[in-house]
Amino acid sequence: MVILDVLNLSKTFPTRMGPRRAVQDVTFSIARGEVLAFLGPNGAGKTTTIKMSAGLIRPDAGKVRIGGIDLWQHHDPAVQQMGAVLEGSRNLYWRMTVMENLLYWGAMRGITGKAAKSRAEELLDRVGLGDRARSLVQSLSRGMQQKAALCQALMTSPQVLLLDEPTLGLDYEAAASIKSLVRELAQQGTAILLTTHQLDIAQELSDRIAIIRQGQLVLQGTTSEVLQQYSQPLFAIEGAEPWPLEILERVRGVPGSIQMIDPLTLLFVPEAADMAGIYDLIAALTPHPIARIQRHQADLSEVVQKVLTEGVTA
Amino acid sequence: MRSIVQAEWRRSLILAARYPMETLSSILTMFLVFAGLFYGASYITDSPIGAGRLATIVVGYAVWMTMMSATGDMGWSVQNEAQNGTLEQVMMVPRGAVWVFLVRALMAIVVFLIPLVMVVCAMIALTGVGFVWRLEALEPFLMTLITAWGLGLLVAGIALIFKRIGQVLNIVQFLLLFVIMIPLGHDPGWLWHILAVLLPFTAQVALLRHVLQTTAPVPPSLWLSAGFNMIIWMLTGVMGFIGAERFVRRRGTLGHY
Ligand SMILES: Nc1ncnc2c1ncn2[C@@H]1O[C@H](COP(=O)(O)OP(=O)(O)OP(=O)(O)O)[C@@H](O)[C@H]1O
Ligand SMILES: [Mg+2]
Repeated sequence: MVILDVLNLSKTFPTRMGPRRAVQDVTFSIARGEVLAFLGPNGAGKTTTIKMSAGLIRPDAGKVRIGGIDLWQHHDPAVQQMGAVLEGSRNLYWRMTVMENLLYWGAMRGITGKAAKSRAEELLDRVGLGDRARSLVQSLSRGMQQKAALCQALMTSPQVLLLDEPTLGLDYEAAASIKSLVRELAQQGTAILLTTHQLDIAQELSDRIAIIRQGQLVLQGTTSEVLQQYSQPLFAIEGAEPWPLEILERVRGVPGSIQMIDPLTLLFVPEAADMAGIYDLIAALTPHPIARIQRHQADLSEVVQKVLTEGVTA
Repeated sequence: MRSIVQAEWRRSLILAARYPMETLSSILTMFLVFAGLFYGASYITDSPIGAGRLATIVVGYAVWMTMMSATGDMGWSVQNEAQNGTLEQVMMVPRGAVWVFLVRALMAIVVFLIPLVMVVCAMIALTGVGFVWRLEALEPFLMTLITAWGLGLLVAGIALIFKRIGQVLNIVQFLLLFVIMIPLGHDPGWLWHILAVLLPFTAQVALLRHVLQTTAPVPPSLWLSAGFNMIIWMLTGVMGFIGAERFVRRRGTLGHY
């Protein structure tokens, strides 16, 4: 079931140097329990898209639907379904404690009394901030502030969560705990849109990715399929013991190119990307003991780099 | 809506209690102002200040301070929120930002009036001067307040667009002085009536003066101008703020300039 529906969003900002096209005809949707990672270089239009989805920037054209409700026609019920942690901005009042902030923002969205208190406690425990509930936000570390901001956005248990660079400037441990919270939320059915420049995090978390460049989506797809698609037809064959030198002689007849990149590892690119060629190779390698055969698996940074420099391959 | 009022009330209390020195010093300042007014006046005129006179001074002070704070608070609030990065969260509150800022303005007045009443009571106890509670001033006061909020929303709208409010507010509050001091005389002419309908506060302050200085019944035309003017300014404020909100959402400059 689609929860966040973004249809043909476009935005051109009027600036002193004339109009600046920031987002052009961007369309995507996120279903219940799905994490979409929104990737792209600086200035590509990620924040603009997130803010248009949050109702903070009015698009020139296009629609945003949250839980089936049109955001720009029925603002109040639509934003009620949504939580957002924006990039860079602090999202919380620095002169109030973490708990005071959560109760305040909860009440602003209609969650009060005991329900609010227990929700806040539950969230803080979940991110490991239970013992800092009474600390002023300004006294928290960057990572703790980010976690607290996330709790704030979750007070109403929103169906849609928008996260703009949620792990920016966080150390490994803080990033890991945000990651696991995002994963948990998705499992419980929240639809999550997140932007990040940390592609390893995007790869771990996302079900789908969308890559935007100069305001236009250039690639969208299921993360695993995209990775598959961008993987090379290339195998690494690791011997259990060093390959004898004459092995290269023995496999000469196998169609494709074979290299020994170190004494234990052979690289094999089958001719015409015919993956079945691996069986011929294995036959030719018999009976030398093999420890591992691995097909090349692209990671997101390779994909993004390729897409951004060379354009999309079919 | 009730939960927003609750949340803002709690936030005001929390902030007042978190910085007790600030809170205390503002109460002390208020106390000193009144002591100055009170003792100063009776010293210079060499006669004890009358109970009625004191009441007028207190009402005047309360009205003036309320006007200043009600025209400025929302603008300052917008500017601070923009600087601290919380403005965008406020703008995502389902009810809409106009309500949030109006409720905040209401809380600011309550937080100002409570210590004021306390100080006045303390003065009465200390000096033993009788004090006439001028409850008939309540309605003109409320009208002034609502007009001031309308103007305040307009100022807040300007703050949304420019993110900076100090200069604008100086000018606005300076102009207010003129507006209030437009001489009334015994028989205000038609020009005055036109101005009273259009300019903020002129009619409300005239009404307040009338109520405080005479016991004669208020001419209905004065009530009418004051009420009409109040509604106009409130509507202008709300519409100005919403217009500014639309403008910055289109420009994409909600959170920053
Ligand atoms: N309010 C604005 N007025 C004018 N131009 C803007 C405004 N906001 C963004 N832009 C421009 O729109 C483009 C997209 O910006 P955006 O912030 O969406 O990029 P981004 O993908 O989030 O980049 P980053 O990775 O650096 O956060 C940029 O060229 C930016 O300069
Ligand atoms: Mg950005």
